[in-house]
Amino acid sequence: MKKFFSTLLLLAISLQIFAQNASPSIEQSVYASGKIYVVVACAAIILLGLILFLFSIDRRLKKLEKYSDPKN
Amino acid sequence: MYKNWWKILGALLVMYATIAGFLHSVPKLPILHESIRNLYFHVPMWFSMIILFAISVFHSIKYLLTNNATHDLKAVESVNVGVVFGVLGIVTGAVWAKFTWGQAWSFDVKQNFAAIALLLYFAYLVLRNAIDEEQKRAKISAIYNIFAFPMMVVLLFVLPRLSDSLHPGNGGNPGFNSYDLDSRMRMVFYPACLGWILIGYWIYTLKFRVRALDKYTTL
Amino acid sequence: MTLLNQVKFLVKKELLLEWRSKYALNGVLLYVVSTIFVCFLSRVSANPVTWNALFWIIMLFASINAVSKSFLQESKGRQLYIYTIASPHALIISKTIYNILLMMLLTVIALGFYIMVFGIVPADLGLYLVATILGSLSFSSIFTMISAISSKAGNGGMLMAILSFPVIIPVLIVLIKLTKNAIDGLDRSVSLDEIGMLLVINVLVFAVSLLLFPYLWRD
Repeated sequence: MKKFFSTLLLLAISLQIFAQNASPSIEQSVYASGKIYVVVACAAIILLGLILFLFSIDRRLKKLEKYSDPKN
Repeated sequence: MYKNWWKILGALLVMYATIAGFLHSVPKLPILHESIRNLYFHVPMWFSMIILFAISVFHSIKYLLTNNATHDLKAVESVNVGVVFGVLGIVTGAVWAKFTWGQAWSFDVKQNFAAIALLLYFAYLVLRNAIDEEQKRAKISAIYNIFAFPMMVVLLFVLPRLSDSLHPGNGGNPGFNSYDLDSRMRMVFYPACLGWILIGYWIYTLKFRVRALDKYTTL
Repeated sequence: MTLLNQVKFLVKKELLLEWRSKYALNGVLLYVVSTIFVCFLSRVSANPVTWNALFWIIMLFASINAVSKSFLQESKGRQLYIYTIASPHALIISKTIYNILLMMLLTVIALGFYIMVFGIVPADLGLYLVATILGSLSFSSIFTMISAISSKAGNGGMLMAILSFPVIIPVLIVLIKLTKNAIDGLDRSVSLDEIGMLLVINVLVFAVSLLLFPYLWRD
């Protein structure tokens, strides 16, 4: 687990290095393509939000199952 | 037995709205360009939120009339789901605003009022946490919920019309309304709204059923 | 007793209690005066827009302090006594009337003092007065109900602030807009929209609290 996180951290740092070159062009590419990526981002946010919400329901249900399980 | 047809309908409508939302042709507008397609994603969030809050008020009224704890659970769960939809609406609105107005939060009236309307419901949830006694909590929060709903309606539907806003559909800005009279957009927009409302209602019934199980089995 | 008699009786009782101690009036007056004085001493630039906003912020906190007393202060015994002699409708009407009277007196005094200290006179003083009276009307009608809710929740001032701010913000926005018109001396027909809006909000809040209070009051 620790290794995984350290790899992730390194990855994030290295991404930042890439992003320094790329950042001015992100907005340009968004504008150039007729702002379609705005819509993509919004749809992704909605999906992400709903999925996270589903996870919260799932967690709750798991607790319930633990409670009502006859073996426990 | 639960009837499932409306869940399938909701899923199909949302799928249709998503696919058609990306592929269907839209009118060409100067500033909006393709981001006009956000109409199919951002706006239905608000519709679902309002419907969920209305359901919550309905159950609050029912609770006051019958004193049945089930209605209280329904009221609070629909507020929970409604708040999630509201937050999604605000975040997608902010993303869109970042690339259209240049700033994620540009203190536009509609953004501010939507945020305040959400605050109302956060206050409702705080109120619920503040009271320990169960019946008292149900009663008082139902009363606050009914009290808050007309204010939310005023906030979201009446006040923005009194002042100028950059939001499409306000104050002479290139609005969706004048263009989606163009039946091309309507054909996707209405199914999108209905679909998302159904999905929101579905999630709310799930939340409520989990909550009811929680309450009646563990106690 | 008929409703009218009960209301008359209860308002008289409130006025008598207030007259004996003069606690709310003096306390809040002192609060307002000292706040205004502090603002003056800290050399707030006398820009009319800031001047206006500052006035409403001061009045907001003063009215929260003044009105929240109406339910939070009552002892359990006195509440029980009132419960036996009067209907809940009479109680909420009388409390609201008393608070309106208190707030009107307070805002007019505060406005006089504020104008005196800062030396700024709005171009349309009549309209400004109308706005402050409408403001005190809506502050007291909203805060009375909210203070009833928070006193029943038994969590005092903190909850009062959380619950009332999202409800009062829309009113405050309309009020600031209306008074801004008065300061600029715009034609009065421009402000009719806002005045109507405030009246509608007041009627709405009053009707809702009249409907809901009986449920809150009986335990």
